[in-house]
Amino acid sequence: MLSDPVVEALDLHRSYRTRTGILKRERRDVDAVRGVSFAIERGELFGLLGPNGAGKTTTIKMLITLLLPSAGTARVLGHDVVDAPRDVRRHIGYVFGGDRGLYERLSALDNLRYFSELYGVPPREQRQRIGELLEMVGLTGREKERVEGFSRGMRQRLHIARGLLHDPAVLFLDEPSIGIDPVGARELRATIAQLREQGKTILLTTHYMFEADELCDRIAVIADGTIVAEGTPSQLKGRVADGHVAEVETFGLPDGHLDVVRSLAGVRSAAVEERGQAQVLIVQVEPGAEVTSGVLSSIGGTRVGKVSAREPTLEDAYVELVSAS
Amino acid sequence: MKVLRLVSVSYWLHLKMLATSAFEGVFQVIWPLFFATTAFLVFRQSHDPHALVYAGLGSAVMGIWSVIATTASGLLQRERWHGTLELLVASPTPFALVLVPMTAAMASLGVYSLVATLLWGWLLFGITVPVAHPVVFVLAIVVSIFAIALIGFLLSVTVVRYRTAWALGNLLEYPGWLVCGFLVPITLFPHWVGWIAYALPPTWGMAAIRSAASGGSPWGQIVMCLVLGLAYGAAGALVSESVLRSARRNATLALT
Amino acid sequence: MNSLRVFFVGGLISFRGLFNWLSPWIYIPSMLVAPIFQILLFAYIGRSAGVQDDAFFVIGNAVQYSAIPCLFALTNTVAGERWTQTLGIVLVTPARRVPLFLGRSLPVVVNGFLVSMFCLVVSSLLLGVHIPGSAWPPMVVVVAVAAASCTGLGLVTAAIGLRVRETAVLSNVLFGVLLIFSGANVPLDTLPSWMATVGEALPLSHAIAAARELAAGASWSDVSGLVGTEVLIGVVYAAIGLGGLRYFEAESRRKATLEIQ
Repeated sequence: MLSDPVVEALDLHRSYRTRTGILKRERRDVDAVRGVSFAIERGELFGLLGPNGAGKTTTIKMLITLLLPSAGTARVLGHDVVDAPRDVRRHIGYVFGGDRGLYERLSALDNLRYFSELYGVPPREQRQRIGELLEMVGLTGREKERVEGFSRGMRQRLHIARGLLHDPAVLFLDEPSIGIDPVGARELRATIAQLREQGKTILLTTHYMFEADELCDRIAVIADGTIVAEGTPSQLKGRVADGHVAEVETFGLPDGHLDVVRSLAGVRSAAVEERGQAQVLIVQVEPGAEVTSGVLSSIGGTRVGKVSAREPTLEDAYVELVSAS
Repeated sequence: MKVLRLVSVSYWLHLKMLATSAFEGVFQVIWPLFFATTAFLVFRQSHDPHALVYAGLGSAVMGIWSVIATTASGLLQRERWHGTLELLVASPTPFALVLVPMTAAMASLGVYSLVATLLWGWLLFGITVPVAHPVVFVLAIVVSIFAIALIGFLLSVTVVRYRTAWALGNLLEYPGWLVCGFLVPITLFPHWVGWIAYALPPTWGMAAIRSAASGGSPWGQIVMCLVLGLAYGAAGALVSESVLRSARRNATLALT
Repeated sequence: MNSLRVFFVGGLISFRGLFNWLSPWIYIPSMLVAPIFQILLFAYIGRSAGVQDDAFFVIGNAVQYSAIPCLFALTNTVAGERWTQTLGIVLVTPARRVPLFLGRSLPVVVNGFLVSMFCLVVSSLLLGVHIPGSAWPPMVVVVAVAAASCTGLGLVTAAIGLRVRETAVLSNVLFGVLLIFSGANVPLDTLPSWMATVGEALPLSHAIAAARELAAGASWSDVSGLVGTEVLIGVVYAAIGLGGLRYFEAESRRKATLEIQ
């Protein structure tokens, strides 16, 4: 029993029915998640990484009982998310990014008191628990102020405190660092690391590679509703580590040129990133191959800026995985 | 015990939120006052002091119905807009216990308007409402607020799928004022309207408040008001469970 | 020519773009059903108090309810454009302001007229109020004049909307003021004299009086004075409104008040 995973997703599917048009109702089914499986062990910090619309949030919402899976099953601490939603809800915390999800006109303290009641935190423990959490997220002294005056970072920290009120064994963090300044994001990472130290099982979704790299024990990369790779950060990096990355800064790269670059010998994959005025070609190169001159001659008349080569990062692994799918 | 605490703490916090909003607070008082004033001016022409007392008491209670009609229908939409709807649903507390304290807080705002209307009628029109049994009078008001809050709960979950629920909610304000005996005796209506009126808890609540004020026995009416209110609440609980099930199936919770 | 296009096309487009009441889910409850219940409410209050007759309340409230579309629509377009931050974009165009804002008023007047007529016809049928056939053509004109003069007041609130945020509250309060002071439900001559004076200076009161006289068999020449006064009141409010729009626009450039939410 102890070795059972804390969170277990088995072949989860979820489709949405969207309607377009007012008079002519056209119905279309969109598959947001198609066959996602993973297991998170007790005390693990598991990262779910993927581009917008890949199915991260949909997956989380199925696990926290807000959405029913179209097919497949999921269990949290052994409770089925479809059959026993209330048992699941009792033991999980849910925190999402952004500045919504709080009662603006109430103080931070009242927000926490309200959710303590909804989570059935015993009255005798409430005061102490809220005090500890305020301390932990650095809001002690500000708890009497109304949330409407809070900065984004403060709101996010309050969110985390809210998610932890009932001391949940499992925590779902859906892009918690979105829109926070670098200092706030660093503090947030420290808080998440601290929670992991306390033995919480955490599922984290994020766009930021360094965040995942720094925090996660294991990462699953999700693209287009399916998991395209899973492993520790170093395992994922290892998938591209035996080559190197060439970056070519261009100005006015013609559309469709990426396919030409991809077809060059020695190129494992290629992607374009806009950086200000420039389009940077990021080329994953096979071990031992030299592609820079090939790439440069292929783009012909286009103006070229800086050309460089570097070691692959987790982000490169991610870009390769996502653009390959 | 735990439920009682949950309900009272949430009630208090939501009341705090509503009461600190200038818009809801002030406007919910002013709006029924316009109608009360008009009604006083109409009734004044009949030169019958009883008619003015009748109108004074009736228009004072109208505000409780107004708050619920105009705000309960948009309740879930507002929670959704604030991003808190998902958090409420994701908590282990049954949804009915989350929502009823909210609508109860809303209905309680009607007390503002009740007091303001009584004062307004007294100061400007010299209407004094004699209250024979003050304690029972207050009890009848409290039961009416509770029953109207339960209607508000049913309303809030019934209209959740309509984006423009506020318009449907506003629509309910006049019919409630019309048929619940606030300003028009139910006997003036065709028979079938009477049946609708007697199916609505505010009709009984209003009758109970009038009996308590005039020295009659309001107990039967108080019980009817409470029983009907609980029936609406039970219907609301059923609807809310099915709404949540459908929301989990059709992914309609997070839509803004 | 260009001003004409700004007047007609621009007005209609902004009406459709911002006046989201055109959704049937909002229009039917707020514009068609609610006023009928308002009429029923006051007609029954009248019956309960034993004063006036159903026709009095039908005509009074049907005309008065045009205040909802006429006051809210214009104010909402201005407030809505503040919200979507398009107001600044509109105001930097070289379009002349008078046709710009009057153009926005025209669809509002038409809508207010339609709402009033609908209420008049349907509630007459519901309550069995008989208005002679010959009275209808002049009443249609009076209702149109009422909608237009109330829209004049709407221009004033729209101008205030350039400056303050809570315009919805303002429109609601004006609606309530008209409910009491315009004579829709209480004859002006039974009101205290100061209230009657206020009522005389508001739009709708003369139109309501004219419509009631027409329904009671008066001829057009009997009511032409009332209608003329109503037109005059509407023009005065519209002039104040347009002046206010110009003033607040100029002031917003000086004090940057436009983009303050």
